[in-house]
Amino acid sequence: MADLPDPNRPPEEYFAGELRVMNAHLPRGTKTLADLLAEPEPFVACRDDTPHLFRIDELKLLAGFLSEEERRTLNLPMLIEVGGGARGESMLRCRSPVEEKVAAKILGMPVACRQEAITLYRPQLARLRSVLVTTTQYVFVIRERAAGEEE
Amino acid sequence: MPRLVKVRPTKIELIKLRRRLTLSKRIQKIVRDRLSILTMEFLRIAREIVEARQTLTDGMASAYGALSVAAGSHGYLALEKDLAGAGRDVGIATGLRNVAGVRMPSFELVDSGRTIQTLNLLETSSYLDQAAGEWEATLKAIVRLAELGRSLDVMGMEINRTKRIVNALEYMVIPELKATIKYLNMKFEERDREEKSRLKRVKVLLQQA
Repeated sequence: MADLPDPNRPPEEYFAGELRVMNAHLPRGTKTLADLLAEPEPFVACRDDTPHLFRIDELKLLAGFLSEEERRTLNLPMLIEVGGGARGESMLRCRSPVEEKVAAKILGMPVACRQEAITLYRPQLARLRSVLVTTTQYVFVIRERAAGEEE
Repeated sequence: MPRLVKVRPTKIELIKLRRRLTLSKRIQKIVRDRLSILTMEFLRIAREIVEARQTLTDGMASAYGALSVAAGSHGYLALEKDLAGAGRDVGIATGLRNVAGVRMPSFELVDSGRTIQTLNLLETSSYLDQAAGEWEATLKAIVRLAELGRSLDVMGMEINRTKRIVNALEYMVIPELKATIKYLNMKFEERDREEKSRLKRVKVLLQQA
């Protein structure tokens, strides 16, 4: 018999588990594009012990416009922070200038990397995700409250 | 009118309730963000399904056309004889892709290594090669559509689940906590007023004595 929920436990505690589940898909580590291209079935292990498979077409697309050196620098999957921006916008984490180049190429416009992150507004995020489905991953972050913000 | 949370009317409970309200608001914010991301992904998959269906329909029309031409060129009996020995093992690599915490299936056609060249090249024409090539492309489209179809189902279920959480927080948990905090605050203010009036009354009684 399944365990019934404790009626005396506050309901928001059940939902707090959602926060853990939400980021359970994050990769344990990253691999470079060059390494992934050499694998027959490219994947990275997630925190919940499931493998995250990369689409080979996507890897080839990225390799198409990156040099050998850049392929060895670009770590995949790239992480997109959701809810981390000051106004709740998404941010693409940039660990090297290669991410900036990839984002600029996919979006077809110059992008600026500030504090190791590129701000992505919703249409840009949709565009990026439509092309890089498996090579990007969402990270849900809780923004710290700004001074004077209502609790 | 939201229900009140059953707690003892003490200051400690009020502090606990405030903490619970803060936690609930944070969870609500992040779950809402996730819901909007899931909806965006759902729409992306839906758009891809429309494209994949169109590709499949076009591919099948073209493949059936090419097969008809090949059948016209060879004759049905000869075509069946040629194709009987030209089977191909098709493998599908399955796995998982994780999108915003949703495990979606991944199907990819695996090349078995046996190509269509197992056909007798002397007795067959290029029409058959073309038909085989077009069916191969169609098979890829079928697998892609299967992956997208299942992904859409899984994403839809997750959106429903997330929506229920958002609604529960928005319409049940947070209003109940707010109402209880308001009730406790009023109760403490009332207690303070009672205390003040009691002290005044005691003072008056002491002065009279």
